Amino acid sequence: MLTRSLSYAVVALIVMTGGVSAQQSADPQVTQGEETDSENLLERFSEESERFTQSEGEALYRTTCQACHMEDGEGSAGAGAHPPLANNPKMNSKHFVAGVILIGYHGMPGFSGMMSDEQVAAVTNYVRTRFGNDYPDPIAPEQVEALRPPDDSD
Amino acid sequence: MAMTPFHPSRRQLLAMIGQVAGAAAMYQAMTSLGFAAESGYSGEPDLQGPRGRRRVLILGAGVAGMLAAYELRRAGYAVKILEYQDRIGGRCLTLRGGDRYTEMGGHEITCDFEGDGYLNPGPWRLPVHHRAVFDYCRRLGVPMQPFINKNNKAYLHSATAFGGQPQRVGHVEKDMRGHVSELLAKSLNQGDLDETVSVEDREKLLEGLKEWGVLDSNYRYRVSDELGDVRGWEIRPGGGLMPDKKPSQPIDLSPLLHSGLWDQLFNFHDYLFEPPMFEPVGGMDRISDAFAREVADVIQLNARVIRIAQNENSVTVSYEDGGRGGTVHQETADWCICTIPLSVLVQLEVDCSDAMRKAIAAVPYASAFKVGLEFRRRFWEQDDWIMGGISYTDLPLVQIAYPNYGFLSDGPAVLQAAYDTSTAGRTFTYSWSTMTPQERIDAALALGRRIHPQYDTEFMSGTSWVWHRVDWSLGCYGEWTDDLRDAHYKTLCEIDHRLVLAGEHCSHIPAWLEGSFLSALDAIRRLDERENA
Repeated sequence: MLTRSLSYAVVALIVMTGGVSAQQSADPQVTQGEETDSENLLERFSEESERFTQSEGEALYRTTCQACHMEDGEGSAGAGAHPPLANNPKMNSKHFVAGVILIGYHGMPGFSGMMSDEQVAAVTNYVRTRFGNDYPDPIAPEQVEALRPPDDSD
Repeated sequence: MAMTPFHPSRRQLLAMIGQVAGAAAMYQAMTSLGFAAESGYSGEPDLQGPRGRRRVLILGAGVAGMLAAYELRRAGYAVKILEYQDRIGGRCLTLRGGDRYTEMGGHEITCDFEGDGYLNPGPWRLPVHHRAVFDYCRRLGVPMQPFINKNNKAYLHSATAFGGQPQRVGHVEKDMRGHVSELLAKSLNQGDLDETVSVEDREKLLEGLKEWGVLDSNYRYRVSDELGDVRGWEIRPGGGLMPDKKPSQPIDLSPLLHSGLWDQLFNFHDYLFEPPMFEPVGGMDRISDAFAREVADVIQLNARVIRIAQNENSVTVSYEDGGRGGTVHQETADWCICTIPLSVLVQLEVDCSDAMRKAIAAVPYASAFKVGLEFRRRFWEQDDWIMGGISYTDLPLVQIAYPNYGFLSDGPAVLQAAYDTSTAGRTFTYSWSTMTPQERIDAALALGRRIHPQYDTEFMSGTSWVWHRVDWSLGCYGEWTDDLRDAHYKTLCEIDHRLVLAGEHCSHIPAWLEGSFLSALDAIRRLDERENA
């Protein structure tokens, strides 16, 4: 928790500096720094509207899964809960994890239409080797393809 | 048409037809998802009332739960509502200056708007055919104002077309109409359509196309004073010795087609968005407040439901007082109406048929988000002559909605600066949902300044909402598909012994207030019938 709030403080600081520079300073270096910050942030978005264009597991996690499972994979609970990916025995099955990413689970939407087999494999392998997980058996894109529903053209 | 051998516009015409077919297919898809459905409201419910003392326990103090409580009590039932939050209204809410909300993950959303602007994170506009909503607003005294959905002065924007310069909605619409009219007239004049259009019809069509598309005497869509009267002026007609008027120049067909701006125009096409639309004066929560005035005395806040148990005669609901981990209490009643979103309900212990349990587990919840930004002045009105309405863009912010109140006033005003839902099939809402509240504001500023450069100097503060980070809904609304409806919808809506579900997820108008109203009305009608069977 400490780490998390610390990283937010850093983000907030960068943003505050950027905001001041936009209003008060035409100093090219400061402006450039600000643009780099917002560019990093904007890289979170896919370059296409209908499919994710990121290919690495981490980049895909940061642009989708993180919304609910949070930065550290801990999930979150209140009235209802987004389950943690850390210390979760369901992560034991790579087929289960990839299947959930493809077709969803309970309230969670599936991503089969927006991610390729390679991307689903990358995210699956990422979450099964992070957040304290250390599963030794990665899933291959061909194994993801086999999990797709029959009418799924992707 | 596809057989017509004319050049070089044939390829372009085919592309246009393809796009029309695409729009029709999209509309069809939206209908089957329930997004374009007509309301089935037929007036206030005619309930018989209970045969003796009957108690109905309602779970959730959103509009569905409160409407059910309001009508059932009027009919003579004893009612009580259990609500998880420390506020009423559910997803029908409004953020104003001073509001704070801690979303999942512990991030705090702040709203420090200094003026009277606000952000409606959920519902924000009402189609006039959503009759149940309008009728209850009339009965409960909720004043309405027009909501401008389509403003011809608002922008359509593509980052990769026209040098990133936004184009006016009215210009794109009139130019497409003019170009299509010219092509159709050309085709008619060449005799390409002689087999399908009679000679008399052809003359009528040509006459109409000339007027509709503002074509010249040779049936061409060209700049003219006549077109200025329809499309607007580069130099507007003035007074005294001001410069002579000059008509505006149409955009050519091919760049228009390739810009994607024609597609953006389809955002205004659905029956749901037909003008005029309306909104409650002062914020969408005026509707939930109106219901709360009627039923607040039967609402218990801070009650987290954990179990719904039932038998043939009664239902017993266990809840934690004060939220997760609180002291467990129980309430017993003759009937239970549960409006808890399925995404949350699936995680609770519920006594019901296996089929209903499968239905509860089957429906994914849509991603949706909004960002609201407050600015020092209404530059969109003062500089760009955009008075209300919505601009669309292919940037990840998708749309910018301008306030439809406080026109021309000095002082701060709030834009709905970014909004999308996953139903549109875009990736962006997922990515916005991964951001911290501050990052969402930064992204909305970094993107929006490409359409309104005034952002750089006029920004004051921002706020946002991410529906997947709301612990009491875990998403925005039930995202049904045809297959899911076929398999589960009826089961989901049926009365299971003493329990019936209600809310937008139990309707053919998901995500809309009307859906939750109609669902609640139908649930209490059937409950009352069962009571009196």
